[in-house]
Amino acid sequence: MFQYALRRVLISIPTVFGVILIVFLMVRLAPGDPAMRLAGEFAPPETIERIRERFGLNRPMHEQFGIFVVNLAQGDLGRSTRTNRPVMQDLRQFFPNTIELALGAITVSLLIGIPAGIVAAMRQNTWADLVIMMGSLIGVSMPVFWFGLLAILYFSVQLGWFPVAGRGTFSHLVLPAVTLGVSSMAIVARMTRSSMLEVLSQDYIRTARAKGLMDKSVVLKHAFRNALVPVVTIIGLQFGQLMAGAVLTERVFTWPGIGRLLVDSIDARDYPVVQGAVLLIAVSFIVINIVVDVVYAVIDPRIRYD
Amino acid sequence: MTDASGTSDTAVGGPVGRGGGAPEPKRAPRWRKQLLRSPIAVAGFTIIGFFLLVVALAPFLAPYSPTSQSLRSTYIPPGVGVSFRGPEGQLGLWVQQATRSPIAGVVVADEAYPVRFFVRGERWTWLFGLVSSDVKLFGVDGPVRIYLLGTDEQGRDLLSRLIHGAWISLFIGLIAVLIGAGIGVPIGAISGFFGGTTDIIVQRVVDIMLAFPGILLAIVLVATFGTGLQNVMIAVGIAAIPVYARLVRGSVLSVRNREYVEAARALGRRSIPTLAKHVIPNVLAPIIVQSSLQMAIAILFAAGLGFLGLGARPPQPEWGLMLARGREYLAVAPHVATFPGLAIVLVVLGFNLVGDALRDALDPRLSK
Repeated sequence: MFQYALRRVLISIPTVFGVILIVFLMVRLAPGDPAMRLAGEFAPPETIERIRERFGLNRPMHEQFGIFVVNLAQGDLGRSTRTNRPVMQDLRQFFPNTIELALGAITVSLLIGIPAGIVAAMRQNTWADLVIMMGSLIGVSMPVFWFGLLAILYFSVQLGWFPVAGRGTFSHLVLPAVTLGVSSMAIVARMTRSSMLEVLSQDYIRTARAKGLMDKSVVLKHAFRNALVPVVTIIGLQFGQLMAGAVLTERVFTWPGIGRLLVDSIDARDYPVVQGAVLLIAVSFIVINIVVDVVYAVIDPRIRYD
Repeated sequence: MTDASGTSDTAVGGPVGRGGGAPEPKRAPRWRKQLLRSPIAVAGFTIIGFFLLVVALAPFLAPYSPTSQSLRSTYIPPGVGVSFRGPEGQLGLWVQQATRSPIAGVVVADEAYPVRFFVRGERWTWLFGLVSSDVKLFGVDGPVRIYLLGTDEQGRDLLSRLIHGAWISLFIGLIAVLIGAGIGVPIGAISGFFGGTTDIIVQRVVDIMLAFPGILLAIVLVATFGTGLQNVMIAVGIAAIPVYARLVRGSVLSVRNREYVEAARALGRRSIPTLAKHVIPNVLAPIIVQSSLQMAIAILFAAGLGFLGLGARPPQPEWGLMLARGREYLAVAPHVATFPGLAIVLVVLGFNLVGDALRDALDPRLSK
């Protein structure tokens, strides 16, 4: 198992380097002077010169990349051109908030998605199944930001149940988490349903039923545990999608997370922060995928990618 | 041998749903019949057809141009000033002038004017100047404007803007799918067919692109190369490349050792022609299914970029951008954010429905 996990990590190293390369190129490939981009539009010439020196922008590309990687390894992503704070400090401040939001969203999507999927599978081809499947189809077709705006309109503005924006108490988390979780919920429900349907047709379920076990116990003890395996994969992948979806959700609810930091920084042409935020989201996605693969191999020993 | 070439020949003619490899020349009509009988497919095609019609007839259907504004009539709620009875109780659609005053709010004037069909209105040209006319589907016979879905912060008719914005979403989706499939399919096919070093290199690149989840890759590209509609199309298209490459590679791997491919090889056909003639036609089913679902994703991404202010620029009637503007006036005029969102949901739902139905019809093994 350890070996498998180790190999999975090693395979991901080139991917991480590729991501770093893309983030590095973001500033260099764009039209205009990269030193100006990193220093900010209105920076005085001496600052631009200092940036050019520090990131080696007058040297050949491969040397620049070397400097970038070395700086990165030391936790140095440069400074924000807006606030002059180290980018790392910004990321450390905003990233936990995004994790909080994503965890909230995944909780919502599991709490509703899994039971909905089970019900749909148990009552296959009935109106309940139809309603759940239609609902999930609408769920994946909906722009998260629109759902968020409607949620604010009804639950915050009209009913006054939840705050309109910001972060702090639990009630601040409810609407953003539900909003972000909607499309994952829909996908989890679909996955649970199809996985349950597959398991329910297996021989051991028939055996369990033939032994005279109660329907409920067959479903929960025998079927659900086995149906859960593919669902776990989806949950892992969804977690990564949620980090990207957070960019939109955080904008709607002015949630102080990494996504809002990213978009605000793009608006302000604050490239060091843009680079840092993109790098952080992509690398966390890679890490999540490794974890999912390992967990997958643990819960289903049949799967080891040799 | 005849069996093998027969398979690939029919595959070129009706190139779908053929993962199984068994020669079934009557398969094509069956999937078409199944598709037409499926209520999901009919619903999806109806929605898409509706939006295509809206795009084709936009300036005729929309009562006004997307930029024509009336600053006296800002934030008029949907349907205000519109009634089904005339001043003397006559049936029909009647419109009274609705204006917003700083003190009294929305004020509706007394005089009512009838709505007529096929009226003359603002002059418009469409389809790159091919069509030019001033006939509108409907309009008010009088000096007032009709606001079926209300107005926005500049007093522009929301319905007109929605209608005029339809082509933007569909066009972005189409171009993005063409870019994604046009580049991703050959890359994935070559990667899966040749294997070896090519495969390893291509798959590492695909891995890197897939490391940017969801809309993030498109955001990165737009942040690098600049905002605007054109860059959004390219960015969303590039974001679709790895999806196609991965999908096609897997499908190609599953057919590359089939007898008919071996037969083509044994007959001395070169690799690329074999790939084009015998392999790709047999992996078209998942590509077609993915393209419908990818249209849905592309439209959502484009709207998302518009919402973030990274896509279309004002005053373009792009739905995501309209939503973003509506967000600022949510409490005052909720309809400004509501209707563009509904339009997005509907068109995306259409493509998702068609994608699901195609998957069921073309390849039953893929359906979950």
